[in-house]
Amino acid sequence: WQVKANDRSFHEQPHFMNTRFFCIKESKYANNAIKTYKYNAFSFLPMNLFEQFKRAANFYFLILLILQAIPEISTLAWYTTLVPLLVVLGITAIKDLVDDVARHKMDNEINNRTCEVIKDGRYSFGLGDLCVMGVFCFEQADILLLSSSEPNSLCYVETAELDGETNLKFKMALEITHQYLQRENSLTTFDGFIECEEPNNRLDKFTGTLIWRNTSFPLDADKVLLRGCVIRNTDFCHGMVIFAGADTKIMKNSGKTRFKRTKIDYLMNYMVYTIFVVLILVSAGLAIGHAYWEAQVGNYSWYLYDGEDYTPSYRGFLNFWGYIIILNTMVPISLYVSVEVIRLGQSYFINWDLQMYYPEKDTPAKARTTTLNEQLGQIHYVFSDKTGTLTQNIMTFKKCCINGQIYGEWKPLPGPRACVTRQVDFSWNTFADGTLAFYDHYLTEQSQSGSSTVFLPACGLPHGHGQLNYQAASPDEGALVSAARNFGFAFLARTQNTITVSELGTERTYDVLAMLDFNSDRKRMSIIGRSPSGNDTRITEAVNEPLGSWEIATDVFASETLRTLCLCYKEIEEKEYEEWNKKFMAASVVSSNRDEALDKVYEEIEKDLILLGATAIEDKLQDGVPETISKLAKADIKIWVLTGDKKETAENIGFACELLTEDTKICYGEDIKSKILKLKFPRTEEERRMRTQSKRRLEARKEQRQKNFVDLACECSAVICCRVTPKQKAMVVDLVKRYKKAITLAIGDGANDVNMIKTAHIGVGISGQEGMQAVMSSDYSFAQFRYLQRLLLVHGRWSYIRMCKFLRYFFYKNFAFTLVHFWYSFFNGYSAQTAYEDWFITLYNVLYSSLPVLLMGLLDQDVSDKLSLRFPALYIVGQRDLLFNYKKFFVSLVHGILTSMILFFIPLGAYLQTVGQDGEAPSDYQSFAVTIASALIITVNFQIGLDTSYWTFVNAFSIFGSIALYFGIMFDFQSAGIHVLFPSAFQFTGTASNALRQPYIWLTIILTVAVCLLPVVATRFLSMTIWPSESDKIQKHRKRLKAEEQWKRRQQVFRRGVSSRRSAYAFSHQRGYADLISSGRSIRKKRSPLDAIIADGTAEYRRTVDS
Amino acid sequence: MKRTSEDGQSKLPDNTALKQQQLPAYRLQLSATGVLSCFFATGVFCLGMGIILILSAKSIKEIEIKYTKICGNCAKLREDATNFDKECTCSIPFYLSETMQGNVYMYYKLYGFYQNLYRYILSRSNSQLVGTDLKDVGNCAPFSKSHDGTPIAPCGAIANSIFNDTIILSYKLNSSIPIKVPMLRSGITWWTDKYVKFQNPSSINLSSAFAGTTKPPCWAKPVYELDGEDPGNNGFLNDDFIVWMRTAAFPTFKKLYRRLNRIQYFIEGLPAGNYSFNITYNFPVTRFKGEKSVVLSTLTWSGGSSLFLGLVYTVTGAVTWLASFSMMAVHLTLKDRKVLFIQQ
Repeated sequence: WQVKANDRSFHEQPHFMNTRFFCIKESKYANNAIKTYKYNAFSFLPMNLFEQFKRAANFYFLILLILQAIPEISTLAWYTTLVPLLVVLGITAIKDLVDDVARHKMDNEINNRTCEVIKDGRYSFGLGDLCVMGVFCFEQADILLLSSSEPNSLCYVETAELDGETNLKFKMALEITHQYLQRENSLTTFDGFIECEEPNNRLDKFTGTLIWRNTSFPLDADKVLLRGCVIRNTDFCHGMVIFAGADTKIMKNSGKTRFKRTKIDYLMNYMVYTIFVVLILVSAGLAIGHAYWEAQVGNYSWYLYDGEDYTPSYRGFLNFWGYIIILNTMVPISLYVSVEVIRLGQSYFINWDLQMYYPEKDTPAKARTTTLNEQLGQIHYVFSDKTGTLTQNIMTFKKCCINGQIYGEWKPLPGPRACVTRQVDFSWNTFADGTLAFYDHYLTEQSQSGSSTVFLPACGLPHGHGQLNYQAASPDEGALVSAARNFGFAFLARTQNTITVSELGTERTYDVLAMLDFNSDRKRMSIIGRSPSGNDTRITEAVNEPLGSWEIATDVFASETLRTLCLCYKEIEEKEYEEWNKKFMAASVVSSNRDEALDKVYEEIEKDLILLGATAIEDKLQDGVPETISKLAKADIKIWVLTGDKKETAENIGFACELLTEDTKICYGEDIKSKILKLKFPRTEEERRMRTQSKRRLEARKEQRQKNFVDLACECSAVICCRVTPKQKAMVVDLVKRYKKAITLAIGDGANDVNMIKTAHIGVGISGQEGMQAVMSSDYSFAQFRYLQRLLLVHGRWSYIRMCKFLRYFFYKNFAFTLVHFWYSFFNGYSAQTAYEDWFITLYNVLYSSLPVLLMGLLDQDVSDKLSLRFPALYIVGQRDLLFNYKKFFVSLVHGILTSMILFFIPLGAYLQTVGQDGEAPSDYQSFAVTIASALIITVNFQIGLDTSYWTFVNAFSIFGSIALYFGIMFDFQSAGIHVLFPSAFQFTGTASNALRQPYIWLTIILTVAVCLLPVVATRFLSMTIWPSESDKIQKHRKRLKAEEQWKRRQQVFRRGVSSRRSAYAFSHQRGYADLISSGRSIRKKRSPLDAIIADGTAEYRRTVDS
Repeated sequence: MKRTSEDGQSKLPDNTALKQQQLPAYRLQLSATGVLSCFFATGVFCLGMGIILILSAKSIKEIEIKYTKICGNCAKLREDATNFDKECTCSIPFYLSETMQGNVYMYYKLYGFYQNLYRYILSRSNSQLVGTDLKDVGNCAPFSKSHDGTPIAPCGAIANSIFNDTIILSYKLNSSIPIKVPMLRSGITWWTDKYVKFQNPSSINLSSAFAGTTKPPCWAKPVYELDGEDPGNNGFLNDDFIVWMRTAAFPTFKKLYRRLNRIQYFIEGLPAGNYSFNITYNFPVTRFKGEKSVVLSTLTWSGGSSLFLGLVYTVTGAVTWLASFSMMAVHLTLKDRKVLFIQQ
């Protein structure tokens, strides 16, 4: 990947061209305009139609339409399939259109953000162009920062669009470009050449080299402004475009998201295939019947002469297609679009739910995927991240251990007011901010007396790129720095390579020589500084591994679920440092595997450290976590916590959130390893819980062992996996998915959970402290873990029940409708004569029977949300697939078949003999069709009324409205007026008015409806009385339960005891900013006013410091 | 996304009943009282209705005479299509033991005639029958045009196969001279058929209106000569034609042929006595093993003499009662069972 500054023709050279088609060549360098939309005004219709016909169902109906156009086999008027198909296509097209218009808008907004190109004017961006960017400017390409208005060519950016983090980040130009490229005329003559990695999607990695004036300079991610960043606090900066358009990192990142489908989707597809097979078999049977009939009867019926000299078998063959056409409604055309509409509506209900809205952050829940709702009612396993998901990820300094002495525990003060818990008074300290609640007065005394002077500044040092309102890379660091400040060691300022600290009033400035940043492999970070007093170089280090004899103290902290950090230091000779520094410099310009090289160098100096002490930081549990977990456990949902923490911390968090209780038996991975190997199916007690060291497990990749692991782990009621990396998290989820065939849900908040979220059937993102990455890749997002119970137990359960009812009814409705043709064919020589008017067939699925079932799919509730939360056991129906499976499907089909039989044979019996009231024989085909159709419409609409358990006025309106609409349209279509206009399109003129005048026909309709519905009512009532389901019972006693609940609530007002729970943690998985800080530039800022974002109130750390 | 919060707009969802899924609703639940009372009521209704229907069906007098076999020689003659111009009549005497009170209707009934066959039903032209465009013979093949290309009016297989027997009922008063029972040939169609669906082309003279068309091959005379006496019953407006064109739902069907004109001896209906049907046998049915019959019937409020509906109503009512008693028994035994909820 080569880019040359100020030289567009360079990038158009032929060897950068890729052949696309035979001779159309395209540059490998992408254009800068971002295009996420799919269609434009001209391509919308053809492209959208093409997309839609790629779906099997739509294509099937297209084939039917073509079959209908063949006159020999057409048995239905052309519009019977066309109208429903157009409606279905139209609805989908409108949905796509709305989506695409939104995309167009967004694209336009992004593409119209201005940036000044130095040479050619605005907008047109090309590779290698140099550009000027001002404050609040959105980056439009990945740009190499050359210089800026700030000292040392620093540039502040906000990356909210990239990772959701709203804190400012720093970018710094190369020294050389900073020096020589400040003025525009020098920029226009800049002819640097950049050689760098191919475009990729890693936002935090970039390696390249700038070759200018015959020297190479290393480039890394800190010199690149990524597309989507916003420049802040920087008047202007200059840069050079290195990736444009689709090559930019953000675009590469937005790549394909995996298309998730629900279990019911698969089931539904199989059922449609089943129906399709049934359709073919039935058609074939009837076709044979027709061939036989032709041979026996048809050939001798002079009145049937049609001038064609076909053999009976050929007529049978033609009739096969005819039956395929008239029975096509067995495969419900509007099924898929209805399912989509229902899911969309359910997603809106999730978005609208006030009880999943988090007022503190103004975050409502959001269903980002609208196709998975009913799967929420079928979850077996929940995989949860810990930090930020179960815990708040807001750190407060709680305890520390210095020289083996633990501070921070509450101890009674000597004196009369001994038992009063008193907060430490920090008022002696001018830097105190009053936010720290600390109850151990000894530490204060100690710090004032100076015995811990080595320790507390050490706390501050490694993390110190904050300001007085500290802005830290991770919440831990912020907690430490502000704690140190409260104890009198205020971190005042940092310059290019110094740190100024006020140590109990005296300002001291340390020279910072090197900063060895945190990464998750080393699990530590260090800083090499020179103390102001002398020449000694000190390395201070924060580690989170317990070392040696300190283990006891850190274990104590860990068992109290606090996050521990150890602090060490060592003094380095100047010479030793010089030597090391050379290696360090060499490693930092390596172009490949730079990170490994650096790690190696870091290891060299980070040894033989002297332990100073340990700090303990509390990470509070989120509200309602234990309650939620116990609720979910009662709903038979297994909860696995996957955390990067060490064993003890993980175990404690398990206890804290009531995943583990005192009387549970805990098995550790080490103990059960042997069992896994020996026993194929280990029999463990129900209450047995276990944890495992997954690293060891995953090393052994043998399938049997994986299977054994999953079998064993699933016997346990809770599993906590500790020390897992993001990739392992995803692998654990995948294992369960693969071997248990269970529906999994992963919930997390950080970038380290993205993998797991994408792997699980359903990914839930918590919009928390660690940025937006998890949310961006999730299917559902909300702000607090406790909303999970509402999402699953209420929305998930409802969605599942609604979808199951909807599908059962839908199959029933279509079978009841279509199979009447089948029964009728025994009486019409298997001639593919329909039992209804063509217009009725056209509108049945679209108008007469669609709205009530759609509304039921949207609004139905078997028990109220309060009761479904109160009785989590109601959730089990979904997990066990009890409401929709092959058995239920066949029951629906049989129900449909029986209904169609009743619908056909009762009118048949009534018609065989009868005459009308005025002597006319109403046994004509058209009256018969109207009678069956009316009975059918009333039956199916009353049936949905029976299926609806939550009758709102909308439901009532739609049910009676559908029936009324049927009669209205029928009378219209069969009126005299319309016949005069279109005599051949509307054949049934006068039938409705003449037939429905007869009491006899009404009696037939009433009898048919009654015979169809009474058995349903009776079976429902009996099964409800004899084998009541859980929801039946609750529904039946809901009044009693409601009263009980109110009584309980009154009781609860008097009992209030909230035990404080704590949690522990290790370092976050993020990389720090040491590189940036240590690269020798000041990050001090000129005086600047309040940052714009401070206005939204939640930002507590955005004020920049005075220099 | 950030924008909205900066503008000070909260993302707080609306607290409306619809959005919070709290719409006021009736929770449908099959309570014992509701279900049982509904069943008892339905049972009563069905039983009552069944009895009424059976009684009223019993009160109907009906006579059906199948005449295919009786007029066997005519039937044989008609088996050969070349004999179409040979007339064949057949007289069937019968004795009416009881008076048929009230309106009496005469039907012809066909067995095994598939008027509901798909391609048969289709073979007509509604726009031709409505009189606007005689040349529109769209779906009528093979009966759309004659050999020389003139359109057939009325076209199509249905019209071509019109039932063309004539049935005359005569009453032997005093067992001597038979009197022709006065019958009305009008008022046997639906109003919409006669005045909307079927219209003659407008012209002064019916035969000139149908100029340029030819008669269907099976017809003896053209459409404008169906009824020379009554112009309101001629052409497409002929009641027999209209009745035939309303295709039957099943292969066995009866169609209204004449109704009794209640004058002279017949003011009360058909008196008991000796009657005979004089049938001009034209319509061949033996080839496809069909049968023809002629039916005389009176009517009640509920229509014809079918017992089916009454029986099904009675059975349904009885079963509903049985079901409701057994449901009540189940309910009473299980009513006091303790309710246990799984977990709370």
